[in-house]
Amino acid sequence: MRAREPDREGYVDHDGVPIYYEVHGSGHPTLMLVPASPITHSKIWKGLIPNLARHYRVITFDGRGNGRSGRPTDPESHTRAANVADMIAVLDATDTDRTVLVAHCHATLWAVEAIAANPERVSALVAIEPLVPFLGKSQPHWVETGAHWDEIIENPSGWEMNNRHAITTQHRKWIEFFFGEMLVEPHSTKQYEDGVAWAMESTGEILAAGDDGFMLDFPGQETMDGIYRDLGIPTLIIHGELDICQHVERGKAFAEITNGELVVIEGGGHLTLARDPVKVNRAIKEFVDRNEGTPMQQHVWPRGLNRKKRVLYVSSPIGLGHARRDVAIAKELKKLRPDLEIDWLAQDPVTRVLEAEGETIHPASEWLASESAHVASEASGHDLHCFQALRRMDEILVANFMIFQEVMEEGLYDLSLGDEAWEIDHFWHENPELKRGDHVWMTDFVGFLPMPSGGSHEEYLTADYNAEMIEHIARYPRIRDLALFVGSPDDIVPEVFGPGLPKIRDWTEEHFQFTGYITGFEPPTDDQMASWRSELGYREDEKVCVVTVGGSGVGRDLLEKVIAAYPLAKQSMPELRMVVVAGPRIDPAGLPAHDGLEYHGYVHSLYRHLAVCDLAIVQGGLTTTMELAATRTPFLYFPLRNHFEQNYHVRHRLDRYGAGQYMDYAVTDPEAIAAEIISRAGDPVDYLAVESNGAAKAAKMIAELL
Amino acid sequence: MRARHPDSEGYVESGGLSIGYEVFGERDVTLLLLPTWTIIHSRFWKLQVPYLARHFRVITYDGPGNGRSDRSVDPQVYSLAAQASYAIDVMDETGTDKAVLVSLSMGSMWSLSVAAEHPDRVLGQVFIGPSLPITPPAAARAGIEDAFWAEHVYPQGWDKYNAHYWQTNYQDFAEFFFSECFPEPHSTKQREDCVGWALETQAEVLVAEAKVDDVDHETVLELCSRVTSPVLVIHGDHDRISPLSRARRLAEATGGSLVTVQDGGHIPLARDPVVVNLLIKGFADRLSGRQKAPA
Repeated sequence: MRAREPDREGYVDHDGVPIYYEVHGSGHPTLMLVPASPITHSKIWKGLIPNLARHYRVITFDGRGNGRSGRPTDPESHTRAANVADMIAVLDATDTDRTVLVAHCHATLWAVEAIAANPERVSALVAIEPLVPFLGKSQPHWVETGAHWDEIIENPSGWEMNNRHAITTQHRKWIEFFFGEMLVEPHSTKQYEDGVAWAMESTGEILAAGDDGFMLDFPGQETMDGIYRDLGIPTLIIHGELDICQHVERGKAFAEITNGELVVIEGGGHLTLARDPVKVNRAIKEFVDRNEGTPMQQHVWPRGLNRKKRVLYVSSPIGLGHARRDVAIAKELKKLRPDLEIDWLAQDPVTRVLEAEGETIHPASEWLASESAHVASEASGHDLHCFQALRRMDEILVANFMIFQEVMEEGLYDLSLGDEAWEIDHFWHENPELKRGDHVWMTDFVGFLPMPSGGSHEEYLTADYNAEMIEHIARYPRIRDLALFVGSPDDIVPEVFGPGLPKIRDWTEEHFQFTGYITGFEPPTDDQMASWRSELGYREDEKVCVVTVGGSGVGRDLLEKVIAAYPLAKQSMPELRMVVVAGPRIDPAGLPAHDGLEYHGYVHSLYRHLAVCDLAIVQGGLTTTMELAATRTPFLYFPLRNHFEQNYHVRHRLDRYGAGQYMDYAVTDPEAIAAEIISRAGDPVDYLAVESNGAAKAAKMIAELL
Repeated sequence: MRARHPDSEGYVESGGLSIGYEVFGERDVTLLLLPTWTIIHSRFWKLQVPYLARHFRVITYDGPGNGRSDRSVDPQVYSLAAQASYAIDVMDETGTDKAVLVSLSMGSMWSLSVAAEHPDRVLGQVFIGPSLPITPPAAARAGIEDAFWAEHVYPQGWDKYNAHYWQTNYQDFAEFFFSECFPEPHSTKQREDCVGWALETQAEVLVAEAKVDDVDHETVLELCSRVTSPVLVIHGDHDRISPLSRARRLAEATGGSLVTVQDGGHIPLARDPVVVNLLIKGFADRLSGRQKAPA
């Protein structure tokens, strides 16, 4: 799912080629983001659009030959003039008198030519890894291979593939080679996949025509030097030091000749906008604010000694899972530090719990891109590939990190608490100079594990992600002032992070403190259970089976399978009553009706129902299954397919507690479910006792930082 | 020892008086740090100069009556027009075509006057704790000008704002005044510094200056209406000398930004130098659209 949808989209067409554009936001000034097409298209800006559109009006478009724009195959349709005309046509269509241009690679030459021809339309230029001919140094491989552009080369490899024939006939091979060279930074798997996928939306023929068209009527050095010198607007050049497409000396020379600003990303390659989106976002914003005179707002700076202690709590919104334990920790923390102010940066559905508990939700929360909607969009049937879903959440994580960072800076918080708030942990390690206050990282599992369906490539990817995390912590131990593992060392899976990497348990014991499990509630006494059962209207002479699939909207398929089992089980267990909690995101309309079967949407204090029922049927999420373990309720759990956390981490923990019956959704039919219901409903259990002081233990460790 | 010595210093003859100035640094953008009420002199900028001079060319000078400038008991040398002319004369003498004006308290009037009369020479203005008759004074200070010539026996509090008391108990007045300027806890050094600078001049000078009464509400608003360059106002919300309402009104009347120092007093540049330094630099950087150092 995208982190932000356009407020307006449309097409312009000035020469028979439809050009797709998008407008985001409504601030001032307007920024037009120009992708280097046709090898990429507007999606390359995905890490920047959500942030920039909160401050400015942002326009982007797919250059001719890719994305949702037309795909001419003749070089005459790919001239620089045609691309410049597309930019101007989009400005006209969006009623944009004046814009800041932000261009990548060879789009910079279009931008420069657009400025020279339309100086009144452009107020400033940001050029990222710019192709600006005749300046600085050329990378030798372009010069060498350019000389053989028209030849037919037998079995070309590497840069030899920069050749019309090779690009046309071995498009993918060239693209994969090219993006491999562009991304010099370690751990760039996602950016590489994205780049290749965007390029492959077009064809080799179009790419070659784009190259040919770019070179038509190529200006001479004198002309270009004159244009550079007379640009007459502020410029910002951002350039990866190790860029193998455009030499960093080129960016430096462009900054010099335009008297512009220069940000060199040391260790960066040709795609810093994708690989270091936080730095690039901030550099652009600071430049625009400085040059477009965005007025400073009214601002209050409290003197240091007069500030109240403040915590920003960021609770993972994927499902309702973490909200209750986080609220429990916050309440314990306030007992220890009564003057503490806690604000929550949270999104639906966590905010429902927070509102019910009277917690303070930071108003910036409404800007957050929805992680739970993303996860729901990634689920299909009873299947959620959560590792890939997390990877594909990259633009949402950047968008939400940028919001978090602004909130931390403006709110002057003493401490941030991130319960599986991946964006904070990841981007503070990637941009350690941005860290504000102390940081507490909290998680209930460590280590991405490959699912068998992903094969060896997924083994490679998970190991790469784990390695990056291990390197992050080794290099910047100061980012996590406290790392809490919600559980005990025995809950850690007996696996390694990947080939040549440490054992997960050894590493985690070295880098985490352990809180024991945190349920977020006091385990009910037998008397309480009895009174809850009667309050909820569950009679002693009936067998109540509660079916719930959490709050994320994933799980309709499981509901349907369990409901299909109900009439079968009811035949041999007439006292069976089935209570289906569909959650806020599943509409029960359309699910079958049976006598003794009832449906509910959101239920506050669902744990009471789960505590007193005779059998629960749930997915494999940690929070719900551990609540059931704590209340000693018999239960069946169906981990989502391809969900490594539910299939490995949670299952391992439940096995340790001896809790619940693991069920494989793929091979279980309604008859089998009915059989399990009949044999397990109301059966006594012998689970290991679940800790009840975890929240207080966590709060005590956190309070030491305050 | 001073953290930063001037790169050049000198005197400019202005209206028959010798005005001492200092220049620090050699950058393209100049900040002119104006004097304030004669009770202290240009050393009050000591926490700003070393930092700002690494990024800008910085000029300070003393108005007549303190520091390195001539003492005078002629009220006219302290008039608004005269004070504005010292600023222009210092700019001319140092070859400064344009500058960002930075002022404290009473210096705000002189800054406004220069900006209104010489808009081509002013890039922008930073006002810190501006003291202008633009909204009513703090309740404790209401009417102190009227009682200035009264004869009190054992005056207490703001009754010490009094010509006779100054002539007999100048140091006690200075100690009282600067304790009012710094309501922030732990401000001993800032109060001592200011009292020390106060003792470099005499009561007679301040009495002469107090005879000038050429600024009223209308004058201020008229000057504000002629300001064309950007404005930043920095003001403590516990300022006992000049209430926060004045900063709000000034920002409104000039279309400027306002930064409120919560629990801050009248002289945040001494008590909260880091935040004030960063605000001045941020403001001047934006004004001059200058390059930010590469990360």
